[in-house]
Amino acid sequence: MSPFLIYTLVLSVTIFSIGVVGMIIKRNAISLFMNVELMLNAANLGMVAFATHYGLLQAGALVVFIMTVAAAEAAVGLAIFIAIFRSRQHIRVDELDLLKG
Amino acid sequence: MGAELIVFAILFILTVTGAVMVVASKDTVKSAMALVLVMVSLAAHFVFMGQELIAALQIIIYAGAIMVVFLFVVMILNVREREVAPWYMRSLHYTGAALVGVLFLLLGTGMVAFMTPVPLAEAADVAPGAKPPIIDLLTLMITKYSLPFLMTSILLLVAVIGAVVMGRRYDPETGEEYVPDPAEAA
Repeated sequence: MSPFLIYTLVLSVTIFSIGVVGMIIKRNAISLFMNVELMLNAANLGMVAFATHYGLLQAGALVVFIMTVAAAEAAVGLAIFIAIFRSRQHIRVDELDLLKG
Repeated sequence: MGAELIVFAILFILTVTGAVMVVASKDTVKSAMALVLVMVSLAAHFVFMGQELIAALQIIIYAGAIMVVFLFVVMILNVREREVAPWYMRSLHYTGAALVGVLFLLLGTGMVAFMTPVPLAEAADVAPGAKPPIIDLLTLMITKYSLPFLMTSILLLVAVIGAVVMGRRYDPETGEEYVPDPAEAA
């Protein structure tokens, strides 16, 4: 087994965990979104590492689809943040309670 | 092997530093620039693994398109992190950090422990560990995955329409779309 696979997986897990930490400690919605991107990137890295190790091509196609979904998600999510900012003048997620029962 | 290891170590440190800066920085622009650093160094990782196409797409889509959208929104909204965190937020930091430590260990051990030690030779499209030909990946996307490929275009169209709809302004009294008066603006 190539040692680089393990190193890459360790890197992937590290970045993913840092993204989770950011999701927990940040309250600004844009920062939360950046951490989502960080976690998506970590997942991509792990998938490409496994694909290279096992010689599979499908993971490459899957990574392209993940990137497309991430782009769509960023476009819609940031538009929502702009709409919220217009009505509330802030996007602190701990103070947004519009959908709270 | 030795030179490869040094390059990999530099890339590893660069990526982790960038990721930590994304979380640690109070300034949103600085965390966005750190995120660009992470994405570029991940692209370097993909080149390192012999996946040049994915590396190019990573640079073009992530570091190019998505981060520009992020920076535009940061510029428009001019948001800042609030100075003092409430007590429950600070307690959340510690419990969160502890839980993420557990998550890190679980993910790490799981990934390494459940890895099949031998390559799945019968499932492999190319020799395991070898550099996949770019043309094969692209052929796969327009043959086997042609339907998902077409569906991503519809997804992007819906996302664009959704962003336009979310971005429009409405008059709070009449509920009709707010159109700024050109004479007033001039």
